[in-house]
Amino acid sequence: MPGVVAVLTHASAPRIASARLPLLLQDPAVCFAGQPVAVVVAETVTQARRAAAAVEVTCEASAAITTMHPALDRAYAPRSAGHVATDSRRGDPERAPRPREIARRYTTPTQLHHPLEPPFVVARWDGDALVVHTTTQAVFAHRQQLADCFGVPVERVRVVSRLLGGGFGGKGRAWFPYLVLCAMAARHVARPVALELTRAEMFTLIGRRQETIQDLRIAATSHGELTAITHDTVAPTSMYGEYADPTATVSRVLYACPHVATSHRLVRVHAPQPNPMRAPGEGPGSFALESALDELAHELGIDPLALRLRNHTEHDPHTGLPWSSNQLRACYRVAAEAFGWAARPRQIGSLREGRHRLGWGMAGACYPVYRMASHAEVSVDPARGVVVRCGTQDLGTGTTTILAQLAAGALGVPLGDVAVEIGDTQLPEGPYSGGAHVTASVTPAVEQAVHRLRHQLIERAVADPASPLSGLAPERVALTGGTLTGAGRAEPLAALVARTGGLACTAHTAPDPEPRASSYAHGAVFVEVAVDPDLGEVRVRRICAAYACGRILNPLLAHSQLVGGLVLGIGMALHEATVTDARSGRVVNANLADYAIAGHADMPRFEIALVDDDDPHLAGGVKGTGMIGTVGIAAAIANAVFHATGRRIRDLPIRLESLLG
Amino acid sequence: MTRRFLDHTEIAMSVNGEPRRGAAPACATLLDVLRDELGLTGAKRACDRGTCGACTVLVDDRRIYACLALAAAQDGRRVVTIEGLARGGELHPIQRAFVAHDALQCGYCTPGQILSAVGLLGEGRATDEASLREQMSGNLCRCGAYPNIVAAIRDAAGA
Repeated sequence: MPGVVAVLTHASAPRIASARLPLLLQDPAVCFAGQPVAVVVAETVTQARRAAAAVEVTCEASAAITTMHPALDRAYAPRSAGHVATDSRRGDPERAPRPREIARRYTTPTQLHHPLEPPFVVARWDGDALVVHTTTQAVFAHRQQLADCFGVPVERVRVVSRLLGGGFGGKGRAWFPYLVLCAMAARHVARPVALELTRAEMFTLIGRRQETIQDLRIAATSHGELTAITHDTVAPTSMYGEYADPTATVSRVLYACPHVATSHRLVRVHAPQPNPMRAPGEGPGSFALESALDELAHELGIDPLALRLRNHTEHDPHTGLPWSSNQLRACYRVAAEAFGWAARPRQIGSLREGRHRLGWGMAGACYPVYRMASHAEVSVDPARGVVVRCGTQDLGTGTTTILAQLAAGALGVPLGDVAVEIGDTQLPEGPYSGGAHVTASVTPAVEQAVHRLRHQLIERAVADPASPLSGLAPERVALTGGTLTGAGRAEPLAALVARTGGLACTAHTAPDPEPRASSYAHGAVFVEVAVDPDLGEVRVRRICAAYACGRILNPLLAHSQLVGGLVLGIGMALHEATVTDARSGRVVNANLADYAIAGHADMPRFEIALVDDDDPHLAGGVKGTGMIGTVGIAAAIANAVFHATGRRIRDLPIRLESLLG
Repeated sequence: MTRRFLDHTEIAMSVNGEPRRGAAPACATLLDVLRDELGLTGAKRACDRGTCGACTVLVDDRRIYACLALAAAQDGRRVVTIEGLARGGELHPIQRAFVAHDALQCGYCTPGQILSAVGLLGEGRATDEASLREQMSGNLCRCGAYPNIVAAIRDAAGA
């Protein structure tokens, strides 16, 4: 066909040296519908797509299990659930007193990351040196893996990811096989090669939030003191990989309860490999736990907020460690007051507005503080001014702004005068972007580097006979507003640097390997919904939420992150579900018209409060804001729907058909 | 419009105020031509089937999905993309309002949101916050910047 340069299949593709991750075109087995079995390299995108459509594939059919439901008896225990243990147990839940009890099953569907920007990669070889420009959330992890795969020294591989159009987990590990595919094709044809996924391909090729079946049993005294919780999750994983979302985290740590057991189990299916998606585990897990708490509150005739406050825990009940800080009570108070929760009528279905039934629901939230080691460099030189260099990425969350802000604040120079370099393995190694841990990880490193730079600049000024500050004791010199001042004398930073030359300082910080306190961000979310009794339509009218996320570097960006997390939670509650045809294993709704995500018209009024949360145990004090907005919100919406209608929806998403009939 | 090849058509358009002329494949969309032929990559190819709005541009002052519009059908028309919205280095009021309200996170949907807002204000159909949200619903934002986007548009519209 015109323009075709090469066609690679499992039979003709070069062998990849080492693969800790499953790779494409390395063996003839097909593990799921939609798996790439050939790659076509052509002169133009149109020619490549036409040629790819013309590839004839013959394959031998064998029995497939495309969903976990018929195979639940084959569930097994994975090695871990996200970053945490597969199972947990404290006390003796089976023998715990259970004066009152509820046992319920909750389910959440397969959901998809769908960053608006489709993943993209360009690979170019120059001898044994590889340069990859791509949309990755992890330039350094991918550089190491590419070096391993192609058997070249890691210094010969460069990965660049300057700007990202969102990720939400879909541009991490799941995207890596396509970097290999592109680099393999580029080496094969000895030319640069570009590879881009279509939206339809994004439904199967960059991972998914796994569906869950969650069984919750909660026992309590008639006064609402929790006596036992069990939380057992079953979820699918693929035939070629293993991943379990940590759905039980919230059940392990959110409440004071003496007897708690949790488990995560997986079922292997012929479907794409699930991977983390914004608030992995804690999002779906909190839907089950916080719905069950609401059910218990209703059964006991206790206000849902009062039930939570009664079971507040003053330390981490899972590890026994003290909290590094915990402002959950303040979150409940601030958000409840803003919402007007005290006026909530106990009676179900008693709030009306015209034909609509209104409902009020709430939920608590927590998300673990994850952090990674990070390097950072801060420099100042006559030509470029202040430059921060850190090999992390900006998903669109504002990492670039935060890095500039940290340096600008400490050096007293205007924010606009600070240049930031990120997203390149030629920079000092930074953390991958995910789990709300970038700001928490880079802040200590950048602050340490800036501190050193500031110190050395002052030392230089007082030691320089040409400086007006010459001879002063360093501790008498301050650096504010871009000027060094002391004892009534002053020298602009720019003048000092112009005369004495540039200076760069680096720092490397790492999280405490054995923390003596347990760190979580906390939150409380209150929701009003309006339900159309004839059409079953649910609208979220307003959300009042309060969050305690440690030190907030930039309230505007934090607010945007929290609202973004809540918007995803609205989608989780009311819209998003991947529909798979069980017989063919294909995604039926593989486009953004049939896989609905929340849009402008679905937006409620938001009122978000940031509660002061001074954490003395965390270096830098930052807990992160990217994930916690997505925790609790789906339950709060479901609980509000119950309050409006008396219908308890335990299977997400809540759609018209959930409420009609 | 004259046929040059069997599957190519000659197109003349004004793009961001400049006359552009050339042959494009008959199956090419306006988005293909803007991005691949003219190098104007502000309009994004995100869903490629008119569901997300990231490719929104103005054609004769009306907002359209460039991924669903055949390039050949734009012959003689006036196209404005995000690259052509600022005047003499001055951002358009909607652009300024987006910056002021942090109305974007990753920025990928932003050119489409901005052009959709510019088109909408010309339509006079958004009379309050609810109708504004309804009329902007053809533009998806996965980061969830919607409240700030609407605040920015209201601000710019009131200015």
